[in-house]
Amino acid sequence: MANFNTHFTVAAGASALVSATLLSMEVVSPQEAVVAFAIGTLGGLLPDVDSAHSKSIKVGFNVLSLLITIMLIFVKSSTYSLIEMLIMSVLVFSGIRYAFLGFFRKISKHRGMFHTIPVAVIWAIVIAILCQWFFDLNSLISWVYGVMICLGYLVHLTLDELYSVDLGNRRMKKSSGTALKFGMFKNRQQQVHTAIIYAMIPILFALAPDMEMIQSALFSKDAWLNFKDIILPYDGRWFFH
Amino acid sequence: MKHSLVILSLSVLFVGCVPAPQPTIGLGTGIGIGTAQSHENNGAYGQPPHLYATAIRTYFSTKLKRASQAQYRFKPPVKAYKKKGLAYGGGVAWRGWLVETLVATPSRTGRLSTPKPHMILFSGEQIVEDILGKSHKLLVKVE
Repeated sequence: MANFNTHFTVAAGASALVSATLLSMEVVSPQEAVVAFAIGTLGGLLPDVDSAHSKSIKVGFNVLSLLITIMLIFVKSSTYSLIEMLIMSVLVFSGIRYAFLGFFRKISKHRGMFHTIPVAVIWAIVIAILCQWFFDLNSLISWVYGVMICLGYLVHLTLDELYSVDLGNRRMKKSSGTALKFGMFKNRQQQVHTAIIYAMIPILFALAPDMEMIQSALFSKDAWLNFKDIILPYDGRWFFH
Repeated sequence: MKHSLVILSLSVLFVGCVPAPQPTIGLGTGIGIGTAQSHENNGAYGQPPHLYATAIRTYFSTKLKRASQAQYRFKPPVKAYKKKGLAYGGGVAWRGWLVETLVATPSRTGRLSTPKPHMILFSGEQIVEDILGKSHKLLVKVE
C-alpha cells in the first residue's frame, strides 16, 4: 500500500498535468485550473478517509477542513458579521475535521467500499451537484471539478493496487485486489452495500448538472482536434512565438 | 445491515437536502427545455432588451480570446429568473430577460471551434451575468 507522500505526490502530479492540459485547451481559466488542481490532489487523499490510524490522513483532513472553511468565509464575507463568520468557521472546521472523519471511520472499514470505482464516480457526481446547487457554478466547471476529484481518487486506488505487487519476490501481496475494484461481493452485507452504492448513482445523476458541455469539451471530435492543436507548437517554432 | 441502513439514510438525507429539480432552460432542440408557470406579474421582469446583440458583442469583446473573429447566433429574449446558490442563502437572485447565444471563436491555430452556448441574463438593457452552457439548475425559464 502506498504511503501518504506517494499518494499526495502522484495525485498532485496527475492533477497538475490534467489541469494544465485543460487550461491549454481553453476549457478552464487560469483560476479554475488552480482550483481543479487542488481538487484533484484532494481526491488523491480521499479514499483513506476510512483508515483508522493514519496520521497522514489527519494532516490531509486538517488541510481539507481549513480549505473548505476559508472558501465559506469568502462566500459569506459580504453578508455575515465577524462573530457570525467566527462561529460558522469553528462549526464547519470541527464538523469536517472531527465529526465527518470520525463518522466515516466508524461506519467504514479500511479498504472497504471506499476503495471502489463506483464510489469514485459518486464523488464526481456529488462534487458536480455541490458546485452547481450550492456555489452556482456553470455546468462545465461543476463537472470539471467532479472529474478532477474522480481522477485523484482513481489515481489513489491504482497506486494502492500497484503497490500490492511485490516486484522483488515476484508475487502478489495479500492486499492485491482490495483497492481498485467494482464492489464487494463476499457476503450478503457486502453485496447489499454494493447494491446501494450502485443504486445511488442514477439518483444522484438526476440532480447533477447537464453533462453536454463536459462531453463536448473533453470527449467530442472538436475536443480531440483541440487537444491535437496543443501538443506541438502550432506554428512550427519552438519557444519563440 | 446496520451499516446498510446508515448509508441508505445518508443518501436519502443528501437527496432531501437538494431542492427538487426545476425546469431548466435548453437551447435549440426541445430536449432540456423546461417551462414553469409564472405566478408573477409580467412587469416584474421589466422591458425586454432591444439592443441585446450589440450589448452581447461588446460584453464578449473583452472576455473572449480572439473575440474580434467571434461569430454569434442569438435567440430572442425570454423571461427567466435565477435563484441564489444554496451557499448564498437560496431565494431569487435575479429576474429579467435571458438571451440564449451561440458563440464560436477560432482556436489558437485559427480553426473555428464548435459554437459554445451561453445564457446571457439581462436587467433592462444591462447584462448582469453570463452563464456558459444550455442549462443551469438554478435558472428557470418562465412562459
